[in-house]
Amino acid sequence: MHTPVTSPKHPQSNPLGWGLKRKLIVSMLLVGIVPLLLGLSMAFLRGSKEIQVVSGESFQALATEAARKLDLLVAEEVARTSRIAVHPDIIQQLERHRDLLQSGDKRVSPAATTQQRAHWAARDPVAVKAITENSTALLLRGFYAGSQSESDLLLPQVVRAATKKLFVTDVQGNLFAALTTSPGFAHADSPWWKGAYNRGVGQLFIEDLHFDEQAKTYVFSISLPIMDSLRYEVVGVLHRVIDAKEFFSPSTHPIRFGKTGHVMLIDSRGTVMSCPILPTGVRLSDPSLIPKVTGREPGWVTADSDGHGGQGTAIIGFALLPETSRATNGSVDNGAWHTFVWQSSDELFAPIRHLMLWMLILASVALCLLATLGYFAASRIVTPVRRLQEAARLIGRGELQEPIDIHTGDELEELAVEFNRMHTQLEAAFAGLSTQVEEKTQEVQYLQKSTDQVLDAVPTPIIMIDQQGLIQYMNRASRDTLHTQTEDWSSRPLFDLLPIDDEHREALRRDLRLVEAGTPITSPPADQDQSIKEARDPLNQALSPAPPSLRRELRIGPHLYHYEWFPLEGRSGAGKRFGLVLRDTTDESRLQDQLIQAEKSGSLDVLTAGIGHELNNPLFGILGLGEAIQEEEDLTRAKGYAQDIVGHGRKMAAIIRDFTGVAARESKSQRIPVDVTAQLEQALAIVQTSHECLGLNVQKHYVAVSPVTALPDQLRLAFINVLTNAIQAMNGQGDLWLTTEEQDDVVTIRIRDNGPGIPKQHLGKVFDPFYTTKGQGEGSGLGLTVAQRLIKKFGGEIRMESPEGQGTTCVMTLPADKSGVRKEEPCVSS
Amino acid sequence: MRLILTFAHTRLLWVALLLLCASTYSLHAKDAAPAGIAPEKVADFVHAVLDADRTIYTNQVVNRMQAKGIVSAAEHWEHENALPLPAQFLQHSGKLVAESGRGIRYRLISLWPIYQRNAPATELERKALESFSQTPDRPFTGIVTSGRKQYFQAIYSDRATSAACVKCHNSHPLSPKRDFALNDVMGGMTITIPLD
Repeated sequence: MHTPVTSPKHPQSNPLGWGLKRKLIVSMLLVGIVPLLLGLSMAFLRGSKEIQVVSGESFQALATEAARKLDLLVAEEVARTSRIAVHPDIIQQLERHRDLLQSGDKRVSPAATTQQRAHWAARDPVAVKAITENSTALLLRGFYAGSQSESDLLLPQVVRAATKKLFVTDVQGNLFAALTTSPGFAHADSPWWKGAYNRGVGQLFIEDLHFDEQAKTYVFSISLPIMDSLRYEVVGVLHRVIDAKEFFSPSTHPIRFGKTGHVMLIDSRGTVMSCPILPTGVRLSDPSLIPKVTGREPGWVTADSDGHGGQGTAIIGFALLPETSRATNGSVDNGAWHTFVWQSSDELFAPIRHLMLWMLILASVALCLLATLGYFAASRIVTPVRRLQEAARLIGRGELQEPIDIHTGDELEELAVEFNRMHTQLEAAFAGLSTQVEEKTQEVQYLQKSTDQVLDAVPTPIIMIDQQGLIQYMNRASRDTLHTQTEDWSSRPLFDLLPIDDEHREALRRDLRLVEAGTPITSPPADQDQSIKEARDPLNQALSPAPPSLRRELRIGPHLYHYEWFPLEGRSGAGKRFGLVLRDTTDESRLQDQLIQAEKSGSLDVLTAGIGHELNNPLFGILGLGEAIQEEEDLTRAKGYAQDIVGHGRKMAAIIRDFTGVAARESKSQRIPVDVTAQLEQALAIVQTSHECLGLNVQKHYVAVSPVTALPDQLRLAFINVLTNAIQAMNGQGDLWLTTEEQDDVVTIRIRDNGPGIPKQHLGKVFDPFYTTKGQGEGSGLGLTVAQRLIKKFGGEIRMESPEGQGTTCVMTLPADKSGVRKEEPCVSS
Repeated sequence: MRLILTFAHTRLLWVALLLLCASTYSLHAKDAAPAGIAPEKVADFVHAVLDADRTIYTNQVVNRMQAKGIVSAAEHWEHENALPLPAQFLQHSGKLVAESGRGIRYRLISLWPIYQRNAPATELERKALESFSQTPDRPFTGIVTSGRKQYFQAIYSDRATSAACVKCHNSHPLSPKRDFALNDVMGGMTITIPLD
């Protein structure tokens, strides 16, 4: 039923095989991917960083260079403008004007000035002419047009076009000369004028970008103080307003790199002065950018916006116009001009993005290659592993037929060789094992067979059941007993099979439960069972037998069985088992009855013979003496014979009394509490009357004892017999000690004589019937036997102690009857 | 004395006394020529102080700092984390003095100025600078006018006392002369004292 080795249908090999293969492929991919990703990330990060640094430094350099260029541009323009400011004619006219002002000349009095101002504002031709066509104005015009300059100092066309205003003020800030009518008249309050005048000391003042209403454009201005001929103090201010875009754009706009890279000029407020992209006059879109790019020292920053409305990382180089900034708004502290070099980050990072893209494409190709190679490599590794796995499975089942054939030349081949070796060794081991198992099985079978044979040979029915009471085994005897066939009894309930009545069945179950609980089954009381186990005493009347239900007996058919439960060791895991043994006691009972009968008759024979014998001797004596008396004439001698006859008659009477004492039926069958001492006293009295006890010295020591439960006549008889035995042993002469005592609810009676004692070898037989050491006719041999029987009947014990040469002591013990306490005073007499 | 005698003028004396003596004397009598200090002397004092200050600055501050590599002097010192050049030191102090309104002014001038504002302004200055090629150690003095205003001017020659001076002037893009050597007379220092 087994599919081929590499069958894909096998339910267990597939996930396992795929697992290994997948792991191998995944490992190879991971080995490829992780360094690749790490490398790519590192390359990207390092590349970006380096591009930032390189670009930033380039931008900074470019910004510095552009700043220097623009600085020179401004400086040149300042220098050009300053040539007007140092023109001697202008200085002379202004010096003269100053002197007029200081001398209080009415032509330049405040009133005249106010009037002139009003005329100028009204464009009064006289006033206009006075300002735009005076000698200074003509000089300005000449300078502006180039007619006053050397050819190499001509204003460039661009600068000329960019110049929106050019005028001169006097020391009071009032218009002194102008090219056009556009300037205002009074400038004393304007910042540029104050800055350039500088309390008469004078300094270059470059005004920041602002919107000029007249020129309608964004402008900056250069204000130069016109010093007196000594350069000692300011005599006027030359003011020039320049269109920022026109002025700077020829210098800034050509500097382009890439598609978006350019140079821009901004002031310290972030206002654009010149930019190829942004219009002049607007502020940078991101105010937070301004402090970053308006440092005093050149530098570059990485900012989050580019100032041109774009968001995203931007690299910006910046530099300050050094010389120009020194004059902007009077000092570098009041604002400076900066170049701003920037390129769109999209463009800037395009190379690294392209690089990344290419690397990703290459990485994908590499991954595909890795996956493919990984698949093939994994297949090459996994296929022999699967074969090994399948082989191992076959070895496990013992189905491997051919050795594993793998030639990979690596550890797998070695493993296959090891597998083959293992397989060979396993086979050898298994072969030995199976032989052993076979032997053991045979042995077990033999044992089982023997057991069965033994059990079948046993005539006693033996049944084994499990915990549920189902039959597991029956030997032949039980099968015969129960008349069942082999097939019938298997797994049938035992209690259904037994043909017994409910009472016995219940008893059987009860006993089984006791065995099951581990309780040892107590034997029934001895007196109940005695009749079965012991031979019956022919002299003892059989007591009424116990009811059959209490005995462990069953009657099946004509047979009576004594049953016995016994626990059996169950197999591991299985429940307990129990065995039932039925012992056929039918024959036994019958035999016992026969035995008892035989015993009885035997005893009677002996008894009869004994009685006959005992009575015969004195009887013959009497007969002989009677005959002798008939023939004797001597009276004295005849009296002697008659005395002998009386002696023989007494002897016979004693024998008959003894006999009747043994065999007499109990006049009263009711046991009553009996005073032991009283009975002993009566017995002594009887014995003393019937024996010659002249030399007898009786010592009594009675301790108050409890009564015992007995039949008084029989107890007294027992005492009589013992006493008779003692007195006979002493031949009626000697000391006799009678003692009663009580200890632990046991009454003990001791009768001691100082007779010759009993030899040790006879001590065990003294209670046997008709055992006697006396001469023929002296004793019946029944006295002690009777005494023993009686004492035992009342639950007591009797024994003889006879230390050699110290007489004999008869010790009788009887259980004390505590029901009716009757105390007697101890009485001691002699 | 000779100069005073030559250009003796009551007003000159008055001004000189007012400016520099912080006189304890009361000058009442016009006829009796009061004791005073001649402007030449005043200019000489001022020049000596200025020259000493600048020398101290050059030698004890700039040169030492540069030698130790702590900080150097540069033209655009404001935004280059540098010290002002010794020449700028003098020019800026002159500006401060001028802005203080005391009237006395001084500045550095040259026939080869980097910035045109430092070119000689007057004929006197020009002559003085030209004279230094022959007599560099003699100050050139005279009275100059601006409109109606009169000033005393004294011009002292100024030498390239430090390598920094030479280096800067020889390399500056706006410098018209680039072959200065150490200790060359590069220009002069003008001290101007108003006389009215």
